[in-house]
Amino acid sequence: MKIAVCIKRVPDSETRVKIAADGKSLDEAGVKFILNPYDEFAVEEGLRLKEKAGTGEVVVIALGPPAAQETIRTALAMGVDRGVLLQTPGLHPDGLETAKALAGELKDAAFDLVLFGKMAIDDYNHQVGPMVAELLDLPCVTTVAHLEIAGGKGTAEREIEGGVEVVEFPLPAVLTTDKGLNEPRYPALKGIMAAKKKPLDIKPTAPGPGALEILSLTLPPERQAGKIVGEGSAAVTELVRLLREEAKVL
Amino acid sequence: MGDAGNGKGETGKVVPARYQPPLPLDKLLLPVGASGAGDRMELDVVIVGAGPAGLACAIELAHLAQRERTDLNIGVLEKAEALGEHSLSGAVVNPRAFRELFPDLEDADFPFRGPVEKERVALLTARRAFTLPTPPTMQNAGNYVASLCEIVRWLGEKAEALGVNLFTGFPAASLLTQGSRVAGVRTAPTGLDRDGQPLATHQSPNDIVAQVTVLAEGTRGMLAQAYLEWQRVAAENPQIFALGVKEIWETKQPLDSIVHTLGWPLPRDAFGGSFMYPLEPRLVALGLVVGLDYRDATLDVHALLQLMKLHPLFRRRLEGGEMVEWGAKTIPEGGYYSVPARRSGEGVAILGDSAGLVDVPSLKGIHYAIQSGMFAARAIFGALTARDTSATRLAEYDRLVNESFIMKDLYRTRNMRLAFKDGFFVGGAKAALMSLTAGRFPGRKITVGRDADVDRTLTPVASPGITPDGRLTFSKLDAVFKSGNATRDTIPTHLVVGPDIPAAVAEFYSHVCPAGVYELAAGAQHAAPLLRVNPPNCVDCKATDVLGPRWTPREGGSGPKYKRM
Repeated sequence: MKIAVCIKRVPDSETRVKIAADGKSLDEAGVKFILNPYDEFAVEEGLRLKEKAGTGEVVVIALGPPAAQETIRTALAMGVDRGVLLQTPGLHPDGLETAKALAGELKDAAFDLVLFGKMAIDDYNHQVGPMVAELLDLPCVTTVAHLEIAGGKGTAEREIEGGVEVVEFPLPAVLTTDKGLNEPRYPALKGIMAAKKKPLDIKPTAPGPGALEILSLTLPPERQAGKIVGEGSAAVTELVRLLREEAKVL
Repeated sequence: MGDAGNGKGETGKVVPARYQPPLPLDKLLLPVGASGAGDRMELDVVIVGAGPAGLACAIELAHLAQRERTDLNIGVLEKAEALGEHSLSGAVVNPRAFRELFPDLEDADFPFRGPVEKERVALLTARRAFTLPTPPTMQNAGNYVASLCEIVRWLGEKAEALGVNLFTGFPAASLLTQGSRVAGVRTAPTGLDRDGQPLATHQSPNDIVAQVTVLAEGTRGMLAQAYLEWQRVAAENPQIFALGVKEIWETKQPLDSIVHTLGWPLPRDAFGGSFMYPLEPRLVALGLVVGLDYRDATLDVHALLQLMKLHPLFRRRLEGGEMVEWGAKTIPEGGYYSVPARRSGEGVAILGDSAGLVDVPSLKGIHYAIQSGMFAARAIFGALTARDTSATRLAEYDRLVNESFIMKDLYRTRNMRLAFKDGFFVGGAKAALMSLTAGRFPGRKITVGRDADVDRTLTPVASPGITPDGRLTFSKLDAVFKSGNATRDTIPTHLVVGPDIPAAVAEFYSHVCPAGVYELAAGAQHAAPLLRVNPPNCVDCKATDVLGPRWTPREGGSGPKYKRM
């Protein structure tokens, strides 16, 4: 099995978000960056498929700034064989441009599977995986929660509203992974040591200008303090009135 | 137990040592090759703790190896999930050790926030602040305001660039021993449930065997304690500690000077004071430090810090701002007489705070930590080159420290902190005389006992509590949230509590711990209240390890996630 996993460097989910002076980007001062948690499921699944097959290669590919090397090292420490960084000055807001760059890297490499996290926790776009599939003209299954690969084809389970959808697909294919697919491993000490010696190929990349522009970022409104309406049955009428007139949920 | 009151509302005496379990040496010391480990790894030098001491040691070792064109395999174990996340200090930093570690860099290259330009020492009463002349030991011209988290991240990058292996998220849980030799460490396991059963993410402990093991665990280091007790390395006085609770505020009002205060809200028989430093004009570090030899069993450093912020000196700066980070840490305060007789042994060296290299009168330790790391690196490199890592050879490290400014500084101020065991005013007068006579008064050593042996009086409602408003003042629960602590709830307890803790002692613990780990819970009807322990809240400050329940290393990545502490 030859497996590619596309990963992204994102701000830690515990980050206290502060908007930069330009009003449309994140203030990165003091922000810790991590491997996108949904991509961790993809890395783990890639490693498990390779381990099960007993042979093959798992490659991670990231598009991002030089600091994304750290993110790649994390995946290498988990057990991935090698990494490729498509190095850009910053992150591109347009998913299509990211997809084009990744597809360019993937197209001649003859991977059996290309794995993505279903989304990045910083922009919530859910775009890049399916776009890459389209650009490579490969079948695509999104939000995979269970996966079996056997005899040149795969069976994926997707958790949909009220049930489970089972999808069969031929290889090669592009999949995006959901929470619940597996429990990602922590890098072991030996893995961290080994990661320093694994190949990491840095390729300067200049994605196109794209069609999207971020105009502004704003924080959600501050939560209002709670209100105690009253006690006993007398409060019910008042509560119903407030829910209808103020909160407008009835 | 006759001396302990029945809990709230009753006067009683608490002698903490009586309820403190012994150091769990059976877990902290394992013969090399003991069963139970997963991977085994060999390094030349393993350093426990990626703080200023441990990272400086790694950097200097890598520098020496580079200069001599040899390969050294150096690994640094750090219990925090990422670099700096368990590091906390004031801090005003003396840059001299930085300059020696990086002779090619300028002060402007170091990860400092800015030089100290103005300073003020004030004596507080409940409503007023009187400016005092700045004592000579507290003058900070030429020093820099800094965040220790930022210093540690920067040192970590330097170390990594030199080829040092940084293993974050891997606490060292035991020393591996071979006769009287330290042969390496065993890391803590991960992925266990409350009953110690493995979860899907379980990883066995790893053994790291090395020619030299460096203990740079910081304040109240567990393995350093275990080593000193095991090898019966004594000091003239036991180590004594203070607890500091610190907050970082984004403020509306700018601050242009560093401020230290004495007096209110501390009782007169407690030693301590506050600090307020501008990281940026509108980003202020603020904290309160109290010696753990205080007499009132209900004294609560976190609560006192909250109360202190109501004083006009602080209130007018903080109001309208936002508290963005909170943390706590103990400080070894014993000084010269509490430094262990030796800080090296067969295959081992003990650095920085773990060795008690802190000067309380000047409120400094970071430059001693870095300098001790460099001295250890030089001694270790010499030992490795000579293929002799015996105690005799590594004693070179002690010699270097003893002959340096570190011990000279500590000797000069050797009795200042100790004088304060007699209370604030007598202590203050004595300390002033010591300053004037460069330490010659009173000449002889002042003897102190362990903090845990100081008896405490539990008086009903001694400290009038304030109700936190969530804006200027905060509960312990809110505080722990601001420490970034997101330890999973199902972690096995890492705290060793003594048996049969009476209610008065439980109440004492609840005040000692700034993070709400210990709570007094209502017992069954008419029964005495019980001690409830919430281990995930723990921010590794080690205060109760000094006065009560023992702290032991737990799953890597647990605890706080400090960013700018």
